[in-house]
Amino acid sequence: MIKTLLKREIKANYKIFAIFIIIITIYSSIIVAMYDPLLGKSLNMMAKSIPELFRAFNMIDPGLTLLDFIMNYLYGFILIVIPLVFTLIMCYRLIGRYIEQKSFAYLLSSSYSRIEIIVSQYMTLFIFVFFLLAYTGVLVYLCGYFMFEEIIALDEFLALNTGLLFLHLFFLSICYLSVCIFNEIKYSIGIGGGLCFIFILIQMLSQASDKIEFLKYFTPLTLFNAKELVSGTSQAINNILILLIISIVLFLFSVKQFKNKDLFL
Amino acid sequence: MICIHELTKDYGCYKGIFDISFSLQQGEIVAFLGPNGSGKTTTIRHLMGFIKADHGKVKILDMDCFTQAKEISQYLGYLPGEIAFIEDMKGIDFIRFIAEMRGIKDFLRIDELIEYFELDAKQYIKKMSKGMKQKVGLVIAFMKDVPIYILDEPTSGLDPLMQNKFVEYIQKLKKEGKTILMSSHIFEEVENTCDRIVVIKEGRIIADELIMNIKNKRKKHYEIIFVNEIDALQFSKKYECILNKNKVSLFYNDVNELIQELHQYKIDELLIRSQSIEEIFLQYYGG
Repeated sequence: MIKTLLKREIKANYKIFAIFIIIITIYSSIIVAMYDPLLGKSLNMMAKSIPELFRAFNMIDPGLTLLDFIMNYLYGFILIVIPLVFTLIMCYRLIGRYIEQKSFAYLLSSSYSRIEIIVSQYMTLFIFVFFLLAYTGVLVYLCGYFMFEEIIALDEFLALNTGLLFLHLFFLSICYLSVCIFNEIKYSIGIGGGLCFIFILIQMLSQASDKIEFLKYFTPLTLFNAKELVSGTSQAINNILILLIISIVLFLFSVKQFKNKDLFL
Repeated sequence: MICIHELTKDYGCYKGIFDISFSLQQGEIVAFLGPNGSGKTTTIRHLMGFIKADHGKVKILDMDCFTQAKEISQYLGYLPGEIAFIEDMKGIDFIRFIAEMRGIKDFLRIDELIEYFELDAKQYIKKMSKGMKQKVGLVIAFMKDVPIYILDEPTSGLDPLMQNKFVEYIQKLKKEGKTILMSSHIFEEVENTCDRIVVIKEGRIIADELIMNIKNKRKKHYEIIFVNEIDALQFSKKYECILNKNKVSLFYNDVNELIQELHQYKIDELLIRSQSIEEIFLQYYGG
């Protein structure tokens, strides 16, 4: 971790971070506020009348408790897509633009190797995403407490958020690999981001109809199963560990690629 | 100090650099010349460890430029050919940031450089003029007292006064025994600072000569205006020259022989001067 670089990136990116904090605050608090302990039943009925739509957005069983509710409405789609957009923007800002604008030459003529720089930027990105998700977790927890005096079971909630963190680590690693391989922004951001959104789309499709449910085997998002994580099945835990391992492999591969790549600076 | 041996990087379609070899001894200042797209920057990118050679060796201080780029960077000051800063920073903040990245704790040298090059560093980089940005680059290149400097078109965008200041600065570094490789298009600057020129064209080295030798070798340029055109025509048949009505211009070495020859004609005017370094360079560029 290069302290000077971390300091510079925090200074350069805190505004973007703040914007995403605001977006997440608005979305999350509104969704939590929409929770009505009594409404659960009527929502379940609505879900039965238009199951395809509810399923597509991962809201299969809206459930009865606050945890069930946010699992469906927040952790099913919103908290997957919004931090992913943040990750993409940050990949551009931490690596992509330096290569595109060729200012990476200055970073390289410092006393750090290109590997040290690329690892440092990866850590910086992870720290940003970690704090974004940690903030979201605390916010949702407190919203639930203050709005409905409902205390979410901490261990279940932690398991859920750890799963989400690993899923985002996986997204982050794909985007980072893409930015490490390609020089042009349209490829470096487009391919990484495009792949992640295709995975999300495949999951939505696989959930929309039983006939194409098999599609779930073609998206790593299946490895993040909120419901099973909360109930603590070992399969669900193993699955998120697989996400973690894939992420680490992708990261190592990014470093290897970047180490040997020609930089036209 | 710097050693390039049989370096090849083939981009296909005859683009790239081929079999390039030259080296710099300590204290030597070498101008790296060539037309646009001839491979200067590609060669420099190899020296900086940005790209990997297809074939050949590139070494600085006996370290491999690609695998030991980090170690080398401690002994190197570099000015990129393209102005590429982090635009959302103020000049001074960017300079400080790079200084910290290079582990510089004493900012005295930087302050002196800012003053010397008359840089207004408080502006945001994106609002700076081209010349101002170039000065930021120069301050960064020279900010650390290192034995080797690699400068890619150091004076582009600078006004003539600043160019002179730059030349003076290079002469000061030369006295300190620094080794400098710089690419340039400005002949005067090269003539006043460099010991040697290396000329690259279409990816191959076509000349590697001491400036002193070039100066010694330069021919005399004659411009002869004859009284009548027939004389001019007759004269032009005997020598390799450019004929324009009754005016003839040519390069020639043997003054006596030429005067003997001219004795036979009626001359209106005769102008003699030494071939400029610029003309010699242009010969390399063109042919």
